[in-house]
Amino acid sequence: MHPFPFSTLVFFLCLALHVESTNTDTAREAAVHHFFTRNAPAVPESAHTNNWAVLVCASRYWFNYRHMANALGMYRTVKRLGIPDSNIILMLADDAACNSRNHFPGCVFANRGHALDLYGENIEVDYRGYEVTVENFIRLLTGRVEPSVPRSKRLLTDDRSNIFVYMTGHGGDEFLKFQDSEEISAFDIADAFEQMWQKKRYNEIFFMIDTCQANTMYSKFYSPNILATGSSQLGENSYSYENDEDVGVSVIDSYTHFVLEYLEGINKTGTTSMKDLFDNYDPVAIRSHPGVRSDLFHRPLEQTLITDFFGGVAHAEVITDRPTEHYSHTQGSSDAAIDPMEKDSRPVHELAEVLQTFSDGTGNPVTRLLRAWGSVSIIGLLIARAIFKTKR
Amino acid sequence: MSGHSLKDPSTLLFQKQWIRRWIFGSYMALVLLGLPLWWRTTSIERLSLPTLRIDSLGGKELHLPLSVAIDAASTGTLSDSLVHRLRSTFESRKEQAPNLYSHLEFSVDSFQGAAPPDTYSVSLSEDAQFPIIQNKHLSVPIHQASKVPDLLISLLTPYETASPPGTFRHLVAKYSPRYRLSFTLLNEDAAAGKVVVGWDVAKMISRWIAPILEQTSELHNFTIESQIRFYAPLAFEPRILSNGEDMVHGLTQEHLKVFVNPAEWTLASGVSNDPVLHFVLFVPSDSHSPLRILNDASQPIFSDVFVLPQWGGIVLLNLPTDVPPKHHLTETELDHVFSSFQTQLRRLIGVSDLPPGVQSADPDRPLTDFQLDTLYRQRAFENAGSSKETLQSIIKLVHQIPNMPVGQDVRDDVRGALSALEVLYAGVWRVPASALQHSSRSLALASRAFFNPGMLALLYFPAEHKYAVYTPLFAPVAVPLVVTLLREVSAWRKDRREKRSAT
Repeated sequence: MHPFPFSTLVFFLCLALHVESTNTDTAREAAVHHFFTRNAPAVPESAHTNNWAVLVCASRYWFNYRHMANALGMYRTVKRLGIPDSNIILMLADDAACNSRNHFPGCVFANRGHALDLYGENIEVDYRGYEVTVENFIRLLTGRVEPSVPRSKRLLTDDRSNIFVYMTGHGGDEFLKFQDSEEISAFDIADAFEQMWQKKRYNEIFFMIDTCQANTMYSKFYSPNILATGSSQLGENSYSYENDEDVGVSVIDSYTHFVLEYLEGINKTGTTSMKDLFDNYDPVAIRSHPGVRSDLFHRPLEQTLITDFFGGVAHAEVITDRPTEHYSHTQGSSDAAIDPMEKDSRPVHELAEVLQTFSDGTGNPVTRLLRAWGSVSIIGLLIARAIFKTKR
Repeated sequence: MSGHSLKDPSTLLFQKQWIRRWIFGSYMALVLLGLPLWWRTTSIERLSLPTLRIDSLGGKELHLPLSVAIDAASTGTLSDSLVHRLRSTFESRKEQAPNLYSHLEFSVDSFQGAAPPDTYSVSLSEDAQFPIIQNKHLSVPIHQASKVPDLLISLLTPYETASPPGTFRHLVAKYSPRYRLSFTLLNEDAAAGKVVVGWDVAKMISRWIAPILEQTSELHNFTIESQIRFYAPLAFEPRILSNGEDMVHGLTQEHLKVFVNPAEWTLASGVSNDPVLHFVLFVPSDSHSPLRILNDASQPIFSDVFVLPQWGGIVLLNLPTDVPPKHHLTETELDHVFSSFQTQLRRLIGVSDLPPGVQSADPDRPLTDFQLDTLYRQRAFENAGSSKETLQSIIKLVHQIPNMPVGQDVRDDVRGALSALEVLYAGVWRVPASALQHSSRSLALASRAFFNPGMLALLYFPAEHKYAVYTPLFAPVAVPLVVTLLREVSAWRKDRREKRSAT
């Protein structure tokens, strides 16, 4: 019939769709963002009452010194920010500090100048040496431990606990090696987290992993309230930050180095948010592309404090017997502490969705919908044309 | 020569056809016998769980009857309006906070003569000055008759503070059949000036804490430990306030959150897995005395007591200037401290306060029956709920994760928990303590089933991993067996053909 006008029609439709998607994304996102954040309180209190940290160094041997330093660096930071030793589970092969090749016996350094001894005098390794196994790690998370296991090796969390899980070692696409003898897959960790969620063993989890292709490790998570971040994307290596000639090996990994450096500027009462931490990632300096996964996490990252996961207590309440002198400050915050999730889970959830689109750049839900239906209509047009053509 | 020494292969014993076939047959038999063994040892034991029974729990909720009776003799004409107002007050409270009241089947009636058993009775009295509670009986002065509905509902509300009326649910520790109470006297720095070297902790505990522990023994089993420490630095510098000559070191709300310095304080021993409730008496050093809590306007407030949710309580004790350098805290000095500890303990285990103005007739029992029953009911409701959730999640996880084993002990625990729960749902529990017993038994069994070490799912093991493991193991054995089988079959068929053509 008239092939020319028809193909022009399809062409313009495509063009319009394209322009629409590129033009309105940011404006619409900003509007949606504004709509959902305008009623939010300035700094809402988290619903948790206690913090736990699980720090896993999955490597052993002297040449993996840097992984030990990664975990010990994290250990020092969470302890400094107020998580008690009883709430930190440190899994470490622990063969670096007292290795016969260590020129500085009893010390582990994470920088070239030996400024800070991470091993120090007061360190509690809970799972040591050959106890660092996949099975023990899964048992620790799910709570399925033998009755004889001591308190220090248990994760005694409940539905008011925020847990920080940090893992480091050698890994690949959806797996992490444990001491060169076995490996844990992304599915195993995802299932373990689901079991924790089912038994209400956490309020929120912040999962951080520094290994090659680290971002694949959190791709299988499916339980709610998990915020995850990793050092490098699929097909990408995570590199060490620097070598020390006196120690003779690399002393720390690049990603962990920059995260620790950032956390060093935060104190117990800091109000820096997770978003600030993630915005601080510099792929050029880190030499890999760190990723963030927040679609399971139902709080806006701007309002999620770093101390919600690294700190100690979220709330304190003064008791007074005199009604007139009741300390009113805690009144407002106690409301928030009861059930902020339930109160505004819907907008927060959608906001999280919007926020995520900032990072992966696929447009907001409205545009996505438009684009999907647009392509369907183009295909429909083409099919209709083909049918008419054959009939003729 | 050599030709003679060699034997004819067909005459060798081990080349006899029947021997070869026997040997081959034995190998095949071994493999075939081994197959079931291999199947059995590599498969996971997954016993069936009572899924249907657990599914049928889904819509059920625990309902606890709660009946109130109003003494018609003392209330006279007011009786009917009181009944009516009590009912409407309860309904409106239930609408406001369904999670605190929805499990109560509230009924209110008036009675003549003796109060019916297992009910909470209310009467008006002409000579009383203030509302008094005796066992399950509340007696209110007649001029306060209008306050009866609010008083009674407050008494039956879990987790409620007296002033201002509000909930402290967020402070209450998670239910556990056992708790460890750890009492710690912390000297901030014994080397710098005055030091507290002793306290009459045993006497104070038996005076202030033990009565409560005894009364709540239906709920929890308590273990007590105490210690004195001589160095416990703060991890921050308190704010200094001074007006002329007086100087006060102030703790802001932010300071309170980070007050506990876990890196340098050793507060509890890790001897058991029971949850610990901490009670800390903090004696600031001279350089930080006096240490006071500040309000929002940065003014010191009257109270020096605060609670960290689910963790424990802290009391600040500023020593007077005239105490000797080595001080032993006496009973009079400690009375205030331990009464604060008692308040904190009540908050942490979830005992509601008595409404303002209400007194207990029995001073030996710090908790009234109203408070205890309210707590029993709430804990029974919570435990039943979490036991049900645990059972449901066990079913869900077993279904969802095909590699998860289910052993005999898990099944027994699940059945036990389920039976206790079914008994609980079927019964009418006029005595809250017995509902509590069933619910905590059910929860304990359900949790034990969930945390059974045998429930650990096998690791994710894709099909290509299985081939990678089995191929190097079985291929070298399988190749000669298969080849021999083929050769023997063809030889046998050849034999048969020859025999047939020969005949």
